[in-house]
Amino acid sequence: MANIKEVQERINSVKDTMKITNAMYMISSSKMTQARKKLADTEPYFYGLQGEIARILRHLPELTHRFFDRREGVPKEERKIGSIVVTADKGLAGAYNHNVIKLEEEILAKPGKHKLFVVGELGRHYFSKKEIEIDTNFQYTVQKPTMHRARNISAKILEQFQNRELDEVYIVYTRMENSVQADAETVKLLPLERSDFSEMKMPLNMYREAIELYPSAEAVMDSIVPNYVTGMVYGCLVEAYASEHNARMMAMKSATDSAQSLIKDLSVLYNRARQAAITQEITEVCAGARAQNGERK
Amino acid sequence: MDTFGLKIIASDRVFYEGRCRQIIIPAPDGEKGILPNHENMVIAVNVGDARMEVEKGKWVDIAVGAGFMEIVNNRVTMLVDTAERPEEIDIRRAEEAKERAEEQLRQKQSIQEYYHSQASLARAMNRLKVSKEKPWNL
Repeated sequence: MANIKEVQERINSVKDTMKITNAMYMISSSKMTQARKKLADTEPYFYGLQGEIARILRHLPELTHRFFDRREGVPKEERKIGSIVVTADKGLAGAYNHNVIKLEEEILAKPGKHKLFVVGELGRHYFSKKEIEIDTNFQYTVQKPTMHRARNISAKILEQFQNRELDEVYIVYTRMENSVQADAETVKLLPLERSDFSEMKMPLNMYREAIELYPSAEAVMDSIVPNYVTGMVYGCLVEAYASEHNARMMAMKSATDSAQSLIKDLSVLYNRARQAAITQEITEVCAGARAQNGERK
Repeated sequence: MDTFGLKIIASDRVFYEGRCRQIIIPAPDGEKGILPNHENMVIAVNVGDARMEVEKGKWVDIAVGAGFMEIVNNRVTMLVDTAERPEEIDIRRAEEAKERAEEQLRQKQSIQEYYHSQASLARAMNRLKVSKEKPWNL
């Protein structure tokens, strides 16, 4: 039979842990509400941009622009591939970080020279142990994504792409399908792929008239593409932020639940031990009394 | 007078959706006015002060960020990274941003950083300009 004191200590420690997991659950759930609101606010802009590029491309199929340059002349082994990896700042979020890292490992397995831009402390720690080039100036956290941060990130990426320091840029993040499901996903940011846009579903009665670009197609694309990349990065950061807190919320919820069931089992054990101790004491007292009664007779 | 459908989408919200009589926007080479039944066009929009006439004689000022505007079939969509009404602008914050950007411009920095601070300076100055024209901010 377990020692009463041991069981009591165990119950207390489980209770303490449960306090932490429960607090984290509540923090994540409130942060997730914020993140979701932010996500809903950005979506019109995000999809509007995508739709717009698609429309311009449909009207001007012959348009060539430096952001559409696939650089096919560069051989596979020589291609400089950059990836932005969005992980959490800390663990305790179930398989959230693991899924993102696994996806990034798949990209790293492909031929080419890889360079990583890691957002989030956990991913930075993980990849710094490996022999991969990491942009060390890229110190961004994932907490509270802002347009400002997205602008910084996209400026950096666009600059390196234009200077041919990068030939392809991907972003690995977690997209929130709905409140129970979130999937890690890889999206190609640069160069822009025509097929990405033309595959979008459009109603059949769409107008297809000529659209003039003012002042020039070049100038319009110059203004849209950086905005598009910024919007894309921002959207991904917000999605990742929302799914991180969703994942943490669920992980913490199940931790709290299992702590509760553990406490239930332990308190049954504790009560039994207590009962046994009392029974034994009574037996001892009774035996003692009987022995004394026997002596008196 | 005719009207056209206008939708202004900023990165953090849908700023305006409804009918409009005319809108004037800052294009890279100066201001450009859009009237109803304008030719189909995509125009780059610079950081600056846009004005729209919602009803006759009722003009609304908007501080806009960079982006573009698209006119198709008398429907106008403007996608910009920021759009604010004068009364929404936090003057102190804009002033701080302006000072910060000016400070950064004085320091030695890379070309990319230079463009970056230049863009923030433009945004801050535009916010100040739009908000200062209003009597309640005197």
